[in-house]
Amino acid sequence: MKKIMNEAGNIVEEMLKGLELSDPSLVCFPEKRVIARREKASKVGLCTAGGSGHEPAHAGYVGMGMLDAAVAGNIFASPSPDQMLKGIEEANAGKGVLMILKNYTGDLMNFSMAKELAEMEGITVDCVVVKDDVAVPDSTYSAGRRGIAGTVLIHKIAGARAAKGASLKEVKETAQKAIDRIRTMGMSMTACTLPGLEKPGFTLGEEEIEIGMGIHGEPGIEKTGMKTSKELAEILLGKILADYDYNGSEAAMLVNGLGGTPLMELYVLAGDAAKVLKEKGITLSRVYVGNYMTSLDMAGCSISLLKLDEELKELLDAPANTPGFKTFG
Amino acid sequence: MIRISCEQYLEYLEIAAEAIRQQKDYITELDAAIADGDHWLNVTIGLDKVLAQREELSASRDFTEFFKKLAMAVMPAMGGTSGALYGSAYLSAAKALAGSIQMDAEQVAVMLKSWAEAIMARGNAKPGDKTMVDAIWPAAEGYEAALKEGKTEQEALTAMKELALAGAERTRGMEAAKGRASNQPDKGVGHLDPGAVTMAIQLECLANYLEKYGGRD
Repeated sequence: MKKIMNEAGNIVEEMLKGLELSDPSLVCFPEKRVIARREKASKVGLCTAGGSGHEPAHAGYVGMGMLDAAVAGNIFASPSPDQMLKGIEEANAGKGVLMILKNYTGDLMNFSMAKELAEMEGITVDCVVVKDDVAVPDSTYSAGRRGIAGTVLIHKIAGARAAKGASLKEVKETAQKAIDRIRTMGMSMTACTLPGLEKPGFTLGEEEIEIGMGIHGEPGIEKTGMKTSKELAEILLGKILADYDYNGSEAAMLVNGLGGTPLMELYVLAGDAAKVLKEKGITLSRVYVGNYMTSLDMAGCSISLLKLDEELKELLDAPANTPGFKTFG
Repeated sequence: MIRISCEQYLEYLEIAAEAIRQQKDYITELDAAIADGDHWLNVTIGLDKVLAQREELSASRDFTEFFKKLAMAVMPAMGGTSGALYGSAYLSAAKALAGSIQMDAEQVAVMLKSWAEAIMARGNAKPGDKTMVDAIWPAAEGYEAALKEGKTEQEALTAMKELALAGAERTRGMEAAKGRASNQPDKGVGHLDPGAVTMAIQLECLANYLEKYGGRD
């Protein structure tokens, strides 16, 4: 497998240093694999942590109007408690820190240890957990729903709320409201190859796709033949609309690429998805299309749908300037 | 007579890291079948980074200091769930072995038991959940029981590795209650848990090491 890399063991640090180079407002702490804003703003701090391989998530969402720090783990693996502590410290401006996590066992486990460490330093830390993947049943008898691309909009909403001077409690409440109202469904056309491994862990046939595969290549809900964009829009949105009531509401849609799918195809899908939603009487007032939460070189996509209200709409539109997400108010 | 120093523990860990390294495709495929395929990569990178700090680690007064350093090294190096669980295991062993410069057969039992308990507590997992607990728990129990029943140290070590390997093998029939496999419609039934497999490889290497070199001064 051809990849632009040196040692697999150093790829995360090297990636973060490159990101730092590309944005003068960011600072990298390579030993702890943390990216933070160079200047601290006097507000509730927002931090996130997660495995690498999903770029621009998450370090690419650090900056004005979104996150204050992001902590990167190994490829697809949670960062450790001491790394998360560094991220929390960098995000902290004395008004408490909200950690935005995706629902994975390792992320939650490492955070529970990091929270104890931060509290020993006198930092108030709370967290919200994104679990937007409707491919997985939300069950208490399993690890539960995975957090995937919808997380990016949660970063945006929480970031804007914190930037407006809200308290930790208020930022958390708004983030949780958005989490409750967002659903995502994805599909994959190829497996991804982890840097350091020569081949993908599994393969899909030339004409085969997998509905509901996770952003780390976790098995999905069914393998089927390749579909048209129109059919895919119906399948993915069908799962989402069956899971949450969007009837008659206004929504924001994120059509996300997994890293190996051309933008051209994502725009085609966005058009078809918009038609499906229109037929269902759902007003699409914000649409985002791009590679927001990737899975290395995997080809495929996901659609996220967020049910809006006035507050969420305003927060999505508030200014943000980060490497991976820009809005100009 | 089983006796092992911090220095020797690192020798064992190097052997275990190599044994896992050799199983690259096998372990990666196990993980890809029910989860995300990164287990071999992150365990291997993690152990390499830990062993690169060998000099600093071996400069420890006792197993308490040594296991504490090992925990702090393994968590960031390995990352993920495995890093947190092995880190918790080593921290717990550091406490349980207060001030021991060497471990004898009984203290190895204390270490194994503290690992198993810490991993179950941190992961909120129990035997039968299709996790690394299914390798470490029977091995720790069986090894301790063998010593208590007055069996030879050799027999206790054999019990440790056989129960670890058998425990990992039993995960094939289990439904996952924890981790990513628990999200699969079939709960990963029919597949081995990769975390149990790498734990069993380490315990097998530890038992073999103690058999061969455990009495060396």
